[in-house]
Amino acid sequence: MKIYLAILFIFSCLTVSAQESYFYLNWDVNVPMTNKDWIGNSSTRGAKAGYRHFIGDERKFAAGVDFNWSYYQEYKPTETFQNPGGAITTDYFNEIFQIGLVVSGQYHFPVGNREHFFPYAGLGLGANRNDYSVLYNIYQDQESKWGFLARPEAGILIRIGTRRKLGAMAAVHYDYSTAGSVNYDYNNFSNVGFQLGVMLMQW
Amino acid sequence: MFMQIRLISFGFVLLVSWSCKPEADALRLLDELVVSTNYDTGADFGTYATYSIATDTIGFVSNAHPNDTIIVQSSQNTYPRVVLESVESNMDNLGYTRVEKDQNPDLRINVYVINDFNLFQQIVYPSYYYPSYYGYGYGYGSYYAYPYVNTYATNTGSLVVEILDLKNITPNNTVKVIWSAYMGDVYSTIDLIKQSKDAIDQAFVQSPYLGI
Repeated sequence: MKIYLAILFIFSCLTVSAQESYFYLNWDVNVPMTNKDWIGNSSTRGAKAGYRHFIGDERKFAAGVDFNWSYYQEYKPTETFQNPGGAITTDYFNEIFQIGLVVSGQYHFPVGNREHFFPYAGLGLGANRNDYSVLYNIYQDQESKWGFLARPEAGILIRIGTRRKLGAMAAVHYDYSTAGSVNYDYNNFSNVGFQLGVMLMQW
Repeated sequence: MFMQIRLISFGFVLLVSWSCKPEADALRLLDELVVSTNYDTGADFGTYATYSIATDTIGFVSNAHPNDTIIVQSSQNTYPRVVLESVESNMDNLGYTRVEKDQNPDLRINVYVINDFNLFQQIVYPSYYYPSYYGYGYGYGSYYAYPYVNTYATNTGSLVVEILDLKNITPNNTVKVIWSAYMGDVYSTIDLIKQSKDAIDQAFVQSPYLGI
């Protein structure tokens, strides 16, 4: 929790001090695209926050950092797993906890008077960590992996009023991560995310 | 601007609260025991016909109670007989015949509980910047200004059923375990008796090679 608050503080300070920039905070819903037999459920427990700074005077290009986390969980009913020397029977939960940090760049398409709507497309590159867990009764098996993360993203920034600093943001992103798991049959991990939230702009 | 930062901060706390890792449903996790069985792939279970088993005591192995080595059936503790009768019923259904231990049985069945009690202690050093507020009372706040010790305890255990091969005792008088079932956790169950019986039944179901 302290880490999250520290990140919020840093972003807030940057937002206050910098020009032509924005800080955003979004609810992030993710749909897994890899090994859906292990976890096929969407994750509604996720968030994405970031700081982006416009480069140049025309508000076309921006660069910044994005931090995200999401949590997937799926219940599996009782199952018997056979092995050469025996078997094990249990019901269980599969879980994936994911955090990521990318450096990103965006191109904002010029629309209208460039005061209210800022559709954009961008790409983020960075690292992420996936914690793969199986919970059964009081026991837990876990494998954690770091990997490279690539995230193409498209979205829109909506400024509510020209005199207001607060706006709305919506985006869709595709995440490809090399943080796979040998034990749980993931060569890589990819997901599609839908984010919606607020942004605090400085211009 | 400060109002907006407050709004963002509030939203952030709200989002963190919602999107934090939730605990898995404990009722689903604990409503049945994990049943793990292993067997000697070289054993020919078709060659055994009789077995012996205790009537009203099961073993108890614990790192917290080194002097308690058995659990005896009593009016306060009906667990041993329930477990033993469940094992006996499954063995009988498979075609084995129970005999007394002095009647030269082919197999011996041992049933016991393994208890693992662990104690963790952690020294907490309150920081100057983040005092560890413990609570409020009598109109003032209180916090620890000195290191203190947090103590955590876990108590876990497995019910174990073992089948020993008495027909092929080695020349140096050792006995081979040819089948075992580990069922846990028996300390976190919702219904110990029912879940233990179900787990024993499942241990035999997932071991079809035991049939004569």
